[in-house]
Amino acid sequence: MKYSVFILLIIFLSACQNEGLDESYQNLNDENSDNENIFLDLELPSNFPEPTYEIENNRPTQAGFELGKKLFYDGKLSSTGVISCGFCHIQDFAFTHHTHVVSHGVNGALGTRNAPSLQNMIFMEDFNWDGSVSHLDAQPIVPITTEFEMNESITNVLTKLQNDEEYVQLFNAAFENDTIDTQNMLRAISQFVMMMVSADSKYDKVVRNEGSHFNEMEEAGKAVFDQKCAGCHSGSLFTDQSYRNNGLPIDPQYDDEGRMRVTGEEADKYKFKVPSLRNIAVTFPYMHDGRYQTLRDVLDHYDSGVVQTQNLDSVFIQENGQLGIPLTEIEKDEIIAYLNTLTDDNFLLDDRFSEF
Amino acid sequence: MKLRIYITALCIAFLIACSSDNATDVVDDSQIEVGDLKINFTNTVGDEPLNLNTQTYVKNGGETYKVNELKYIISNIVLTDTEGNQFVYPQADSYFLINEEVAQSKTITLDSIDANNYTSITFGFGVDQTNYPLNGVDNFVPEAEESEMLWSWSAGYKFLKFEGTYSTDEITDQPFLYHIGSHGQNLDNYREISLNFMQPLALSASNTPELNIGFDVQKIFNSDFQLLLSDKDDIQIDPVNAPKIVDNITNAFEIILN
Repeated sequence: MKYSVFILLIIFLSACQNEGLDESYQNLNDENSDNENIFLDLELPSNFPEPTYEIENNRPTQAGFELGKKLFYDGKLSSTGVISCGFCHIQDFAFTHHTHVVSHGVNGALGTRNAPSLQNMIFMEDFNWDGSVSHLDAQPIVPITTEFEMNESITNVLTKLQNDEEYVQLFNAAFENDTIDTQNMLRAISQFVMMMVSADSKYDKVVRNEGSHFNEMEEAGKAVFDQKCAGCHSGSLFTDQSYRNNGLPIDPQYDDEGRMRVTGEEADKYKFKVPSLRNIAVTFPYMHDGRYQTLRDVLDHYDSGVVQTQNLDSVFIQENGQLGIPLTEIEKDEIIAYLNTLTDDNFLLDDRFSEF
Repeated sequence: MKLRIYITALCIAFLIACSSDNATDVVDDSQIEVGDLKINFTNTVGDEPLNLNTQTYVKNGGETYKVNELKYIISNIVLTDTEGNQFVYPQADSYFLINEEVAQSKTITLDSIDANNYTSITFGFGVDQTNYPLNGVDNFVPEAEESEMLWSWSAGYKFLKFEGTYSTDEITDQPFLYHIGSHGQNLDNYREISLNFMQPLALSASNTPELNIGFDVQKIFNSDFQLLLSDKDDIQIDPVNAPKIVDNITNAFEIILN
């Protein structure tokens, strides 16, 4: 008798369970066959912090990624039809506007700041040199609608996409609600950018014990860097994501007040985001306004070029009252050798992200 | 015998457990009675309807002003019934731009609200930064953008766009401008406002109640805080004055008729 109770229990339990399993199996299957929505494998590096982006809310799929990529490289997002995101964010140079001091927009319009690199964006607290945007999904609105960048309205972009049969199909494939709207467009771009994780440089292989070793010069550079630079360029992202005035002479052409534009606080005047140094060897020119052509110029600035302006960060004021971070010429060579280990060729040449 | 009862009970329990899964799938919304709610916003100066461009108003500090433009964002609408239960209007559909210049923008219609007797409304002034740009809020971008309620440099919403001219003893017809929103993650200027109805609103499939909410422009300048245009006539990203303005605004709404 006891035995039969047991069997009955199993039958009923499995009846319930099977039903559940079948349903979920079918759902998965439907999703994959109808929408070609295969979830992409977004591998998070073991030496990185937790992402700030809520990946579960917008898990990248093959279709979403492909749509995002098409949008990223499509001049339709600009008023003139020729300036795409990828125009200023070129993959070979860690998605920066190579050699351009400040970025160029529609009809040759000039911006006021240097296009920042795109990599590891899902680990960032906020975006742009002044942190004006706090969510990756909202970021594309800035370059699309800024006069001297893509100079277009979101409304116009959506209309252009809605009138394009190829986009209609791509949005249908990528999103369950089959709708071309702001949210889906921004989410698709995020799905593309989300996958841009650069974590395969020599530096990474050394710290993850993957068989690489720093040479003597790099090792020495790391020691100097850790002592004199890592206070701000900290951790595996090589930025503490803070805003600081690093003592650049104020360029009267721009008189860029930096972070103050976002917060309205006098205490934030002339502060800019500490940039990540990943792939730094290929992202020249440097600083928020692209004023320095080489890493040497940058280190020369920290050594002997720092000037006292409002809100100069205290790390640049030495005990004896002198400004800057003293560096010998040898130390500069060593730091540059170390920074070169942050170049991630697998990322820069990754076919998944390339325009053609 | 006891055991047999036990088995029967078990069988029933499992059957119910299994079938209730299906049952939730078949329940469709049409079984719940729903209705619509109309909300009319009336912008006033004191008790008088606001007139754009033409009329001169007297404000605190002996200043006078005319209003050329008044726009603001209302969001996250929640209704509370007589029992204290809340009906949360779907967030993605819960963003509205009230523009004094456009009559139809001042009436909003909410649909598919559970039939009930409601006693109060809660809504947001502006866009909840913790939500932005999630939960469909970014689908409000095109409308906000067309009405210049978006800062393109920050992709952030202006919650209030209030412009006009003012005069004092010293100056005449000087332009003023208040553009108020949150300052990135740095300063949250979103505010929630709760208003009790004069009498419960009976909302049902056959009865679409109308709610009339007044917004007293005068209170933008003068409520918890007193603002003088002659002190500052251009307030945008201003960590001192912007919060004062939105705090004042929490007192500017009232139920004028329901």
